[in-house]
Amino acid sequence: MKNLTLKSLPVALITAAAVATPWTAARADEVPANTFRAGIYEIFYHVKADDLQGPYVPPGVNVDLKNTQTAYFAYIRRLTSYLDLEIAFGVPPKTKTIGKGPATLGSVPYNGQTIATSKWLAPSALLEYKFLSESSPFRPYVGVGVNYTSFYDRQVTPAGQAGTGGPTRLSLTSSVGPVGTVGIKYQPGTRWSVIASYSISRVSSDLKTDTAGVIRTTHISFGPQALVVAAGYSF
Amino acid sequence: MKRFRSAFGAIVAAVLVVGCGGTNTESAPVNNTTTHGTLVENPPLRIASLDATTFQAQLSSSTAGQQLLQVTGNPTCGVDFYYLKFYTAGAKGESTVSSGALMVPTGAAGTCSGPRPIVLYAHGTQTLQTANMADITNTSNTEGALIAAMFAAQGYIVVAPNYAGYDISTLGYHPFLNASQQSGEMIDILAAARSALPKTFAASTTDGGKLFVTGYSEGGYVAMATMQALQAAGARITAAAPMSGPYALEAFGDAIFFGHVNLGSTIFAPLITTSYQHAYSNIYAAPTDVYTSTYASGIETVLPNATPIGTLFQNNKLPQTALFDSTTPQVTIPNNPQLSAQLTALLSVPNNPSDPATPIYAAGFGEPNLVNNTYRVSYALDAAANPDGATQSPPVAGAPLAAAAPTQTLRKALYTNDLRNGNWGPMEPTLLCGGDQDPTVFFSINTGTMANFWSPEVQAHVITVLDVNGTPGGPFAPIQTAFQASQAQLLQFYLSAAGGSLPLAAAQLQVIEGYHTNVAPFCALAARSFFAQF
Repeated sequence: MKNLTLKSLPVALITAAAVATPWTAARADEVPANTFRAGIYEIFYHVKADDLQGPYVPPGVNVDLKNTQTAYFAYIRRLTSYLDLEIAFGVPPKTKTIGKGPATLGSVPYNGQTIATSKWLAPSALLEYKFLSESSPFRPYVGVGVNYTSFYDRQVTPAGQAGTGGPTRLSLTSSVGPVGTVGIKYQPGTRWSVIASYSISRVSSDLKTDTAGVIRTTHISFGPQALVVAAGYSF
Repeated sequence: MKRFRSAFGAIVAAVLVVGCGGTNTESAPVNNTTTHGTLVENPPLRIASLDATTFQAQLSSSTAGQQLLQVTGNPTCGVDFYYLKFYTAGAKGESTVSSGALMVPTGAAGTCSGPRPIVLYAHGTQTLQTANMADITNTSNTEGALIAAMFAAQGYIVVAPNYAGYDISTLGYHPFLNASQQSGEMIDILAAARSALPKTFAASTTDGGKLFVTGYSEGGYVAMATMQALQAAGARITAAAPMSGPYALEAFGDAIFFGHVNLGSTIFAPLITTSYQHAYSNIYAAPTDVYTSTYASGIETVLPNATPIGTLFQNNKLPQTALFDSTTPQVTIPNNPQLSAQLTALLSVPNNPSDPATPIYAAGFGEPNLVNNTYRVSYALDAAANPDGATQSPPVAGAPLAAAAPTQTLRKALYTNDLRNGNWGPMEPTLLCGGDQDPTVFFSINTGTMANFWSPEVQAHVITVLDVNGTPGGPFAPIQTAFQASQAQLLQFYLSAAGGSLPLAAAQLQVIEGYHTNVAPFCALAARSFFAQF
């Protein structure tokens, strides 16, 4: 996955799909019930956070996140001709938290600095409704579901420690929130397919830092939106 | 269905495997020991890091800061402000956590890193329980800014406790003017700071081996007590500069009880009484033994307080100035009408028109007042029976000037903590600085008494006495001139329209009311000049 880019992935997936078994009209009981997908997530954050609260924090100290990219995996269970259950997760991306607010805290650079990193374990379960008939190679779909996000491997960078004032323990509460998706599936045959989807989920967390016993807190709504391009194999 | 279960199981397993790999950044290690002088967390929190340019800009943004810079000079170093939390002991040896500041110079200049001298500084009395010398982000932390600009920004590592009873301390009272506790706390924070230094962001700034001890007002007393304690422990300091401190406590107490009431007395009285009650358990059986019924309730916890002192005055928790009753108590000593009359006269409201300090003294009388007349008389009787040597005229140089055997419990406590006690004298170069018009901590009864008590050391030039209000002369003449010019400027301000066009007497009163505070930066500058010699 290291050399796979968002640009090159769709071409690869479409090529793979093209060499797959040609589509023939199939009866419903011949349609495979299980599908695995692999692809790539491009995640865009739309962060809204309260200013950091706590001792020795000047007004206006806030945070932002850098957009990130990661591998996407999903298992899809066909429930009916029109309904799928998707269990989606990605290789937990390492997100970078960016300082937002004053250019400096005292003389320590802050705005735009990468102050912390964490990995997101964020599986989602979605019930998806597919439009058009099963014989159609192109099937748009919409889905709703629930997302669970847990943050781990949380690190405050040296730049972050310079801002907080020393070695800092970072905690983020886990999040459970709704997720919605729209997408389109192209399945020219029985086995192989490609999809592209756009998902929005609500992920929020209470952030707490502990620097030498001094606690600072904020509440963050991450507002992640994910563009997914993936290939699927049904069986 | 079997395939579904196994596929879903694989996903769950993968999720769990990923989820188990989590780690987290560790915060500062927490000590499990409560040994005095050890840090609660090391490395400590750095509250702020200011380079020289930023610190100068921050100070220049206010009028007070600009005036301070005129005295201290512009910063040549940046300063990192660390918040130390350390273990120490209360007045009875009870273990407690205290806090304070470690200010570390930073920057490329040779005087800002590498081995640097340490200034161990003790601050003046604070009424606000939340006061924190390390918090340079708080604009009301003027003394923190003063010592940062005066010492840390000029290349000195500064260590300064907030004192037990303040900030995070759970002691519940402040051991005010308790020589053994406060000197012990100074020694504890010094040990804590030395262990923190190698773990700071500026670890290349190290203890250069020179130790200077100084402090102002209450801190002047604490600095001198620390000199005594370090000397007794066999630890050497490089030099010291106690400033405007109430060193000769018994003599000072006598002066106050006999009517020379100092400015701020209604603040100092509950602090010292509560402090000694905790230390010796014999100052009173009940607060009403000392205080009038108006103020006795809650007096033991009134200071330090999270509520600003102005609000405490407004809420009648303390009188603003009326320490004593304006109705003079009648002293009756059996078979001694003459002494009875003398003491009664000494306890009357001062009204000497030729003494410029009379309005200050007289402001210490009124109703409702803080200390009841019965208690005042008991103190006065002991002072009459066992006079302090400093009240002798002329004073006897080198003699044990403190009263040898006071009997009244407050006076005994003052005697115990009087820095003339302990059969000692400074062995290292010492500057005693103050201003002779100080209405808060009287110069002559404190600095003058110590100078007289230690006249051999003064004559040997181990001790230098500086009155910033004295006739300019010697190496500190520019500082004396600058202080006196600032006072004249202040007087002109109060006489001007901008200052309220006050009549001369009222303007002079305004100047004198700010005198104790205004002396501080000039004495600190003298201390820095003094230290620079070593």
